Amino acid sequence: MELPSIGVIACGFAARTARCVSQSRLLLHIQAGARTDLGRVRKNNEDFFAIDPALQLFVLSDGMGGEAHGEVASQLSVQTVLTHCRQGENSRTTPIFGEPSPDVSERTNRLASAIHLANRKVFESAASNPEQSGMGATIVAAWIEAQRLSIAHVGDSRAYLLRAGSLEQLTADHSLVAEKVRVGILTPQEADASEMQSVLTRAVGTGSSVEVDTDEQALVVGDSVLLCSDGLTRMVTDPEIASTLLTSTSAQESADRLVDLANDYGGADNVSVIVLRIDDKSESVFERLKIWKRNSG
Amino acid sequence: MSRLVLKFENAALKEVPLGTRPVTIGRAPDNDIQIDNLAVSNYHARVYVEAGSLVVEDLNSLNGSFLNDIRVERAMLKDGDAILIGKHEILVDQAHDAAQPADGVRKAPAPRMNETMILDTHERRKLLDMAAAAGERSQLAPERMRVPTLTVLRGSTDQKEYRVAGKLTVIGHSKMATVRLRGWFTPDVAAQINKHEDGYYLGRGDRVPKINGISIHGLTKLNDGDLIEVGRVRLNFRYRD
Repeated sequence: MELPSIGVIACGFAARTARCVSQSRLLLHIQAGARTDLGRVRKNNEDFFAIDPALQLFVLSDGMGGEAHGEVASQLSVQTVLTHCRQGENSRTTPIFGEPSPDVSERTNRLASAIHLANRKVFESAASNPEQSGMGATIVAAWIEAQRLSIAHVGDSRAYLLRAGSLEQLTADHSLVAEKVRVGILTPQEADASEMQSVLTRAVGTGSSVEVDTDEQALVVGDSVLLCSDGLTRMVTDPEIASTLLTSTSAQESADRLVDLANDYGGADNVSVIVLRIDDKSESVFERLKIWKRNSG
Repeated sequence: MSRLVLKFENAALKEVPLGTRPVTIGRAPDNDIQIDNLAVSNYHARVYVEAGSLVVEDLNSLNGSFLNDIRVERAMLKDGDAILIGKHEILVDQAHDAAQPADGVRKAPAPRMNETMILDTHERRKLLDMAAAAGERSQLAPERMRVPTLTVLRGSTDQKEYRVAGKLTVIGHSKMATVRLRGWFTPDVAAQINKHEDGYYLGRGDRVPKINGISIHGLTKLNDGDLIEVGRVRLNFRYRD
């Protein structure tokens, strides 16, 4: 399938990465791979993703609303997040939307702000175009600064972290079944079997405001980060995701294999994935000494 | 006969028939529907019939009246509508005689279930109230009132005691680390502590930490008094007043 990404995945963004983390001993190098696919059942792809290699910003969205308006919602959401984060980087006076949290970094708050703005834009677009009424989107975004991974999300698109062989879901789905599991009135097994899996409790653009969840992680060499739409997680189990990430030789291979797996299992929905692999750029002690010298000099 | 049904967390608390006289809603005891909650103004809103239509009017309340999740000053009501005041819901039931449940009337064709959709207002509100109740319960847990701290028992760190604040607390050599470890070969991120809804969780970074002498597998919840070992550093996790 054709990649609808805005920034094409660049191979050569290590240089920028290196500059960002020069105070640190290790140079984290981020290798990104991504793919979106129609799946085997749907007639149009309402998923959308974008990667900004310079900013190390990764955004994925799954649109909803009939007659191709899901695409409008997901594209508008992703583009708004990218634009707002870029503006935030260029000018500290860029306004913050939504209530910033004292629990997370400025970057993470900026990412949440971008989603608040995306919500407003999609909501306003739907309000002024009656044919778009009811459109909305999920969104999951990851932003890496030095070793800090910022995550923000709304809906049931997910972020995972694979570390030392074990896969951890970083996001809590904003879906009816997941919320019921969290308050203890549904078991995870019942949730998996439920017909209500497509019912979201939060989405971008369906209300005048939205609550955005954030998370932060410290990255280490060897980590993999996965952002995906529910077209993957409805079809492929967590252990299968983990083993695919572990046995691929590159981020792009991981992305391709995950999409293929979802399609092999029926491809009931559009499926999109962004895979990030965290590698070490500075391998030798000699390299480390050079960095140390540069920093202290 | 039409009626208003006052509900809280899914339980019907009171029914008030709708007649020619306006129905008043508020915290003061002389309201037709009294809601004893600080989020509700003394005289919060009223519902009355005007030119054959049922109308809700907010009486300039502090926290507002919401009709199907939209804040309203004055709005026409129809059967099945939900007025939200504070955490209480007031359902409009005009089909009472027909013994039809208020939310039993489908206004739109049922969506195909494999098509993603957003939860309707009633259901979402119910769920939010449930979650809020769960949240209030967990806030009563003793840990929530106290400050989590890490005290260094052994090892080379930049401080002897740390307050654990925010979603992410890094233990390592990195500049972003809260607990900064010294030494040439200490990793940037040796371990990390993440704040979740129900407490603090320890996870590995480049090192596998131990809690009370046992190596952890995956994220592990920290309890008051736990002894954490990361490499050669020993930390005591404690909630303090």
